[in-house]
Amino acid sequence: MPLKPRQGVSRRQVLKGLGAASSLPLIGGLAPAFASGSDGRVVVIGGGFGGATAAKYLKRANPNLSVTLVEPAQTFYTCPFSNLFLGGLREMSKIAHGYDELRDRYGVEVIHTLAEDIDPDGHSVSLANGDTLHYDKLVLSPGIDIRWNALEGYDEAAAELVPHAWKAGPQTELLKRQIEGMDDGGTFVLVAPENPFRCPPGPYERASMVAHYLSQHKPSSKVLILDAKDNFSKQGLFTSGWQQLYGDSIEWVGLSGDGRVTRVDAENREVETEFGTVHRADVLNVVPPQKAGWIAERAGVTDDSGWVPVKPETFESQRVADIFVVGDATVAAPMPKSGFCANAQAKVAAAAIVAALRGDSAPEPYWSNTCYSLIGPEYGISVAGVYRVMDGAIAEVEGSGGLSPSDASPEIRQMEAEYAVGWYNAICQDTWGTEA
Amino acid sequence: MPHRARQLTLSRRRLLHGGLLGLGLLGAAPGLLFSPTALASDAWQRLDAAQQVIGDATPESSGLSLDLPHVSEDGSAVALTVGVEASLDEGDYVERIYLFASGNPNPEIAVFHLTPLAGKPEVSTRVRLNETQEVVAVARSAEGKVWATAREVRITVSGCLMRGDDVPESLSNPRVSVPDSFSAGQPGEIRTLITHPMETGLREGDDGETLPRHIIERFTVSVDGDTAFEAELHQSVSANPYLRFHLAPQASAEAAFEWHDDTGDSARETRELNVS
Repeated sequence: MPLKPRQGVSRRQVLKGLGAASSLPLIGGLAPAFASGSDGRVVVIGGGFGGATAAKYLKRANPNLSVTLVEPAQTFYTCPFSNLFLGGLREMSKIAHGYDELRDRYGVEVIHTLAEDIDPDGHSVSLANGDTLHYDKLVLSPGIDIRWNALEGYDEAAAELVPHAWKAGPQTELLKRQIEGMDDGGTFVLVAPENPFRCPPGPYERASMVAHYLSQHKPSSKVLILDAKDNFSKQGLFTSGWQQLYGDSIEWVGLSGDGRVTRVDAENREVETEFGTVHRADVLNVVPPQKAGWIAERAGVTDDSGWVPVKPETFESQRVADIFVVGDATVAAPMPKSGFCANAQAKVAAAAIVAALRGDSAPEPYWSNTCYSLIGPEYGISVAGVYRVMDGAIAEVEGSGGLSPSDASPEIRQMEAEYAVGWYNAICQDTWGTEA
Repeated sequence: MPHRARQLTLSRRRLLHGGLLGLGLLGAAPGLLFSPTALASDAWQRLDAAQQVIGDATPESSGLSLDLPHVSEDGSAVALTVGVEASLDEGDYVERIYLFASGNPNPEIAVFHLTPLAGKPEVSTRVRLNETQEVVAVARSAEGKVWATAREVRITVSGCLMRGDDVPESLSNPRVSVPDSFSAGQPGEIRTLITHPMETGLREGDDGETLPRHIIERFTVSVDGDTAFEAELHQSVSANPYLRFHLAPQASAEAAFEWHDDTGDSARETRELNVS
C-alpha cells in the first residue's frame, strides 16, 4: 500500500476533520475513487517543482482533500540540469518528468490544459478546455514569464532566432542545435539579466557547460558573458573554476565594464551595450528580464514589480485571500528563485492549507536550499542556506549553509559534482516520483 | 529586536571580510524594517538632513517621482531614478535634486544641480543601501517650489548571490554615451560611467585597519564652457558611479564631462553634441 508510514497521520487528521463514522472506510485507501474531497477542494496551477510538490504533499497530509493539478504539458522538463544537456552530459529524456505518480499513487486529478483565468471572488478557475474548477484554496506555481521587449529587440519572434532557453524544452533544444552548428573559432555570447531572475547561478553554469562542450568539439571557440550586474552568485568559485578548466576561453564583462546589453538584433545576432559597444555572436543566448508567470497577473496577486508578494508564514498571497503562490513567481528573497526553494515553499503552503481547512493555524515554517552548479563534468560547487521567518520576513538563519571552499581539492570538486546528481535525483523523486 | 541584531551582525561580518557593501554600522537607521509603505510618504519629515534643505518650505509630494525596487537582493548597487514630472511656470526650472538614504551612516547620497541646458529634470544612478530603509528625494525649482517624496526599499542578500571583491583602479575607463543628434532645445539622454572604488572610509580591510575614504566628490558637465549639470556625490553612491541625465543644447556644441575625486585626481572626456 502506498504511504504506509503516513497512515497514522491520515487517520488522526480524518478523525479530527470529519465525523468518524463516515470517514473510517477511507482509511488506508488512497485510490482516486475514494478521494471524495469532502475535506475541501484545492486546485493547483502549474506542474513544476512547486506545483507538483504542493499537490503531492496536500494529498500526503490529507488524502481526503480533492486536489486537482492543472498543467498543459504531459511531460515537464526541468531547468535544473538543462545546462547539462547543453554541455552534452545528459539527454533531454533524463530531465523529463511526468505525472503518473501524482495521479495513480496519490489520487491527484491531473488535467492537461491551460488555466486561462481566475475569479478570486467566485473561487473558480476557468480552463482552456471550457471547464470551470471551483476551489476552497488555490495554489499557483506559475514559474516565470519573459518580459518581452523589456530588452529592446527581444520579443517572441526574436526568441525563435536567438533562444533564451530559460524555460526548459524546445528552447533548450534550439540552443543546443545552434551550438552544435557553430563553426570552430566562433563566439558564444550569453546576455545575463539584472536581479531578480530565475536561478541566480544559472547563466554562469550555462557558460561553463557550453565551454565544456566547445572544449571537446570546437576548441578554438570562445564564450563571452555580457552581464547587467557587477556581482553574481558564487562569482569567485566560478571565476577560478573557469580559469582552471577553460583558461581564457570564458570572458565575463560586468555592468561597470559596459556589460549591460540594451538592444538585441536577433537577425544579425548582434547586441549593443549601454555605452554603444556592438558585440557580434555566432550563437547568441539572451537570458531576458522576467516576471511572474502570467496567470499570477490574471489572479491579481502580482505587484508593480511583476512578482508576487506573499505572507512568509504560509505563502498565501498578500493581496488575494485563499490563493497561495510558490516558486520563482514569488518575492521570497533572500531565498533564491530555485527549484529547491519552490519545492520547500510548496510544502509550507500545503501544510498551511491543510491546517486552514481543518480550522487550525499553520505550523511554523522553515526552509532550506542548496544550489549546485557544475563548472565541468567533475567539477561541482554549491551554496546552501536555511531560512526562517523573523520579524515578519524571511531571513537566512545565521551560521546556516555556506559556500564551497575556495581552495577545495579536485576530489572535493568531484564529490560535489556527484552530490549534484544525487540532489537532482532526490528532488525529482520527491516532486514527481520519477527516476531521472 | 533579534532580527535587527542579526542584520547588524551579518553586515559586520561582511564589512570585516571586505564586501562591497561596507557602509559601516554607525549611526544606525530608525527602526523601520517592514513598516507599511504609507509610513514612507512623510519620511522626509523625520530626516534632519532633508529638513535642512527643505527649510521653511511646504513641499508637495506629487510631481516628484522616485523609482526604486521594493526589494533589492544587492544593497551595493540599487538602481534609482528620480525626476520632477510637475509642470513648472514659464521660465522656472528644477535647480536641485537631493537624494538621501535615511538608514545609511551618512544619509546624503547626492545632490544634482540642474540648469535649463539640462533639459529634463530626471536623473538615474546606482546607490548603496546598508539595510532596509527609506530613500528620500527632495527637489527645488529656481523660483523656490519644493517637492519631497520617499520610498521604502527592503534589502536582502540572497544566499545564491555571493559577491566578488575586486578593487578597481580609480578614475579609469570613463565612458560617455550621447545621442547621435539632438533637436534644438530638446532633451537627449546622456549616460556616463567611470571606474572608481568609491571607498566609504567606514570599511575595514583584511588587516583590520579602516580603509581610507576615497570617493569621487564632484562630476560636472559643461556645454561650450557653460555649466549644464553638476553632481555632488557622497559615500552612498555605488562603486563605479553611473549617471544618466539629459542635455538640451540649442546649437551644436562640445560637451565636457569631468570627474573629480577627493585626492585631487580627475578625469575628463569630451563629446560633440550635434544639433540637426
